Amino acid sequence: MSDMPSNSCIRAMVVWWNRMRVMTIKEYLQLYRDRILIVFMVYAFTLEVFLAGSGVSMQLHNAALRVHDSDHSFASRELIHRFRPPHFRIDGEVLNHGESIDLLDRGEAMVVLDIPPQFQESLLNGDTTSVQMQIDTSNPVLGFLATSYGSQIVGQYGLEAAMKREGMSLNELATPIINEEHRVWYNANQNDAWFMSVVEMLNVITMFAILLPASAMAREKERGTVEQLMVSPLTTFQMMFPKVLAMTTVILVGTLITIHLILQPFFGVPFRGSLTLFMAVTALYVFTTAGIGMLLATIARNLAQVGMLTALIFIPMVFLSGVWTPPENMPSVLRAVSAIAPLHHYIDASLGIMLKGAGIDILWDSILAIALFAVAIYGLSMGYFRRQLG
Amino acid sequence: MNVHRVAATASKEWREIVRDRLFLALTFLVPTSLMLVVGYGLSLDVEDIPLAIVDRDGTNLSREYAHRFIDSRYFDFKGYALDRHALPLLLADNKVRAAIIIPENFQKELMAGRPIVVQTLIDGTLPSRAQTTKGYVLAMNTAFTSEMLAMFISKKRGIPLGQAARSLRPVKFEARYLYNQSMRSDWALAPRLIMVILMMTPPFYTALGIVREKERGSIYNIYSSTVSRFEFLVGKLIPYVGISSANAVILWLIATQLFGAPFKGSLLFFIPATLLYIICTTGLGLVVSVMVRTQVAAMVVTFIVTVIPSMLYSGVIVPISSLSETAQVTAHALPAMYYTNIIVGAFMKGVGLRELWPDVLVLAIYATVLLTLGYRMFHKRPST
Repeated sequence: MSDMPSNSCIRAMVVWWNRMRVMTIKEYLQLYRDRILIVFMVYAFTLEVFLAGSGVSMQLHNAALRVHDSDHSFASRELIHRFRPPHFRIDGEVLNHGESIDLLDRGEAMVVLDIPPQFQESLLNGDTTSVQMQIDTSNPVLGFLATSYGSQIVGQYGLEAAMKREGMSLNELATPIINEEHRVWYNANQNDAWFMSVVEMLNVITMFAILLPASAMAREKERGTVEQLMVSPLTTFQMMFPKVLAMTTVILVGTLITIHLILQPFFGVPFRGSLTLFMAVTALYVFTTAGIGMLLATIARNLAQVGMLTALIFIPMVFLSGVWTPPENMPSVLRAVSAIAPLHHYIDASLGIMLKGAGIDILWDSILAIALFAVAIYGLSMGYFRRQLG
Repeated sequence: MNVHRVAATASKEWREIVRDRLFLALTFLVPTSLMLVVGYGLSLDVEDIPLAIVDRDGTNLSREYAHRFIDSRYFDFKGYALDRHALPLLLADNKVRAAIIIPENFQKELMAGRPIVVQTLIDGTLPSRAQTTKGYVLAMNTAFTSEMLAMFISKKRGIPLGQAARSLRPVKFEARYLYNQSMRSDWALAPRLIMVILMMTPPFYTALGIVREKERGSIYNIYSSTVSRFEFLVGKLIPYVGISSANAVILWLIATQLFGAPFKGSLLFFIPATLLYIICTTGLGLVVSVMVRTQVAAMVVTFIVTVIPSMLYSGVIVPISSLSETAQVTAHALPAMYYTNIIVGAFMKGVGLRELWPDVLVLAIYATVLLTLGYRMFHKRPST
């Protein structure tokens, strides 16, 4: 008789497992039958990442430069020829000030270099002359880079001209100068494709992780099938968890496809750390983010509301993930939010594993932050869901 | 086309929106809060780069050199590291993004008039920030070098320091910043955000509005009614274009009043151009909604065709001229870029239809094509 409780316990567990399994299979089927959604998921995990990685460079690249040369001397030509690719591209000369403003207004030139008359003469006489650069700074990053390169080129040119006059050369050993030797680590060639493609993949993962479970839940509400679930013997956990599980596995498969079909063959993104660790962190992250989706689905009454709430959460998450703006440059309130937001920690961990070869000994704090967020968000949404149904 | 039937469809749609209080609130809350959160939070300025310094010289001159970086607002000094072996861990853990290693004999060599090598380590995981960091370090080193040179020459020649410094800079560099003189990014960003938000929200509303009827089956009422396809679509789109236009006004007010972005152009040009853009993006939502059958798919598709392109290919974060050739083609194929030109032109450059007519024309073609496509693909007798 003593084995009776354990028998019923086993039976209960089998029933529990069967319910979970059936509910999860139902989710897979429902997803599979939405063909257009599948097509776009495949697109997002492959072509979208490819386009982002292949197309975008954040560096000053072939900035369109026009020259207004009022000197036409040997010296002015030498200076002009120092503005060359990859940073600048000389598009020709302009004859007067009005023309250069017109070109800048129409966006056909980004920089206009203005060399004054008697430029060479002043240089030879040891007088001070000045070179003006007009820069379209409507994009401040690019404006800064153009200014910085321009001033480097002009400064270097001036210094060399002065040293030549003084009878010294910069190569000579006898000058007290600082030679800079910089090493860029983890991405030595500053290959934008690595960064852009990885970040794009993380954004795609985030989008699906919020949207898919949230809409799976909200759809049941909107169609009224949630009533059937409520009268069934399923617990709240058994209603919510299969949706999260099904969507998480689908997203993980998508992630593996992106890594093996796009990131590695096309962009050669290095995987210096462990792929297993990355997939484990991704699973944790998707699970956590799905919790946000679940919370939205409990707040919303229909899918349209879920969509709007997702937009409200997802877009700021992507813009403020710390990729474009480091948290230390954000206002304090947003900095606090971004310190909690799981995407920020996930990006840190992912770039750490892939590019820096970081292991769990370095990344434990990021992983812990994601896990804590998961506990909080699931506690909140399960409590809310129970109250709503009860 | 029967105006009464259009009005009836529009008022039905409007009532449905108004009765879903949360949805109605969100149609206004989403654009406004995106503008505020992203506008305040997204800054493209690179400042406060976390920095560590290894000073192996420990002399007056090396400390003075180090203080150039420590006192700069571009760097956030995290402390001296004892030796270079401590740096890899600091960089891997994101504790610092750059490190400077001042070698032994820094003072001795420079004072003796000999060159010295200073090593800089930069975290390259975020390439654009790495590049800017490199620019800062280079500028600091150039400034320090020219001071050292001036001192050296003045000692060697016996001329005053000021004269020596002047003789080393025969060419002065003057930068004139056009359109955004203070190079502030929040202010440059706010107008562009109008473009991003009006790219994402109208298709979202529209797609959800139409696909909702499909998924719930209430669209069969329309199929079996006397309302023609055209009347139905026009009536359906009017409320969403209206909501988006109201949002455009709110966003414009936030950009100019709250963020203080200057508006140099004419509203007479800007308002119709914006309306055209809204019709364009609403048309995008229409095309999406005839393609898909479920609201989930509608959301995913609109996110993919709007959020990501409006970030990457519109010139907000990455300038169009920096895009590769394939991406430039993508950028030119999307309406976002043309409206960005209009926004930048109207806000910062104060130019109007005379300069920007090609962009307006492209948007008009876009709107026509999208609406026609949506109309042609929408059938009252669905095949399935």
